[in-house]
Amino acid sequence: MSEEGTIGRLRTFVLVALPVVVILAPLGYSLYDHVFARPSLEDGDALEDGDAAPFLEFPAERDAGCVRDTEYMRFHHWELLREVRDQAMRHGVRGEISLDRCRTCHQSRERFCNRCHEAVSLEPDCFGCHYYPASPTALTSDTAPAHGPGR
Amino acid sequence: MDRRAFLKTGGLFLVGTPCLGGLLVMSAPRTAAASGAGTRRWGMVIDLRRCPADCTACLDACRRENNVALHDDPRWDVHWIRKVTIARKHGKEERTRTVPLLCNHCDHPPCAQVCPVQATYKRADGIVIVDQHRCIGCRYCLIACPYNARFFNYKGGETWTNTGYPKRSHGVAESCHLCAHRLDEGRPPACVEACRARGTGALCVGDLDDPDSEIARLIADNSVKRLRDDLGTEPKVYYIGL
Repeated sequence: MSEEGTIGRLRTFVLVALPVVVILAPLGYSLYDHVFARPSLEDGDALEDGDAAPFLEFPAERDAGCVRDTEYMRFHHWELLREVRDQAMRHGVRGEISLDRCRTCHQSRERFCNRCHEAVSLEPDCFGCHYYPASPTALTSDTAPAHGPGR
Repeated sequence: MDRRAFLKTGGLFLVGTPCLGGLLVMSAPRTAAASGAGTRRWGMVIDLRRCPADCTACLDACRRENNVALHDDPRWDVHWIRKVTIARKHGKEERTRTVPLLCNHCDHPPCAQVCPVQATYKRADGIVIVDQHRCIGCRYCLIACPYNARFFNYKGGETWTNTGYPKRSHGVAESCHLCAHRLDEGRPPACVEACRARGTGALCVGDLDDPDSEIARLIADNSVKRLRDDLGTEPKVYYIGL
């Protein structure tokens, strides 16, 4: 085998392999990650500090009574809440969807709303006025009236 | 078909088609008006003859229901409904009377006219309401209101006495909204319920446009007065025996 032939074959190999490695491999990994690795969040990602608790606390019976599917709620819940708010506030149309209804399943604001919102540095100011206890156990201390209601 | 018959038939079609369309649109059921605020026009009658001076049942019920903040300091206290004592001299005799004051839910609300962000507005059923999500706290409405029915949250509410209704954060204006959240569900406002439960029954809320309603009967049968009727704000709170 001549030396020129070896170099020629090496060059062909490099020309074929380079695009595969540089372009297709990241693309493939991204595709794999997007399609297969994403559901692991739903199964409960462990927190970084080794906490065994899931990232978000899900209600016991998942999707049993939610007003929309999980994908919609994950990315568009704020649009839904805003629409519901305007309907109730401006037009007096009080439907079935409300923060009170969220609270029946997602009982802990601390372990449901706050986890994501803190992770992305978003601070919704709903709960300064709307009643949604940080956790069901904090119910008494969170809401104990400092003064009597009728004074 | 001669020329005259053709023109007559053609003209009939030309005029008839849009008319028919208009009729169809008009006869269609109006779903939008049937839901939500609807076509009613809420108003209130306060019968001062049946309102004892020392009774605060409506005030207490309002605070409980709407989480109205009370800070034990007149500078910051918020009152959606409050009682004032007015004195009037008839010769040497001086008569005092205690009158509950609240938002009059004017048909031409000055507060809504001055609001720069449309946070205060009149609903389709006549209730004047503040959208605290939108309020920027400019306090124009406090100045515009001739009844001093508006209050500003210099401090936020501290607790929820009623978890079913939100409290207000600091920096927004607020006033009586005639318990719109209860009226939407078909329940009477908290003050009316408390007044009835106590047995006085001085307060009455109902549809002013419905001639068969209790409120319309009360207004028709009694001599009613509205506060500052001369201002042209057309308030919807009527007083009997003022």
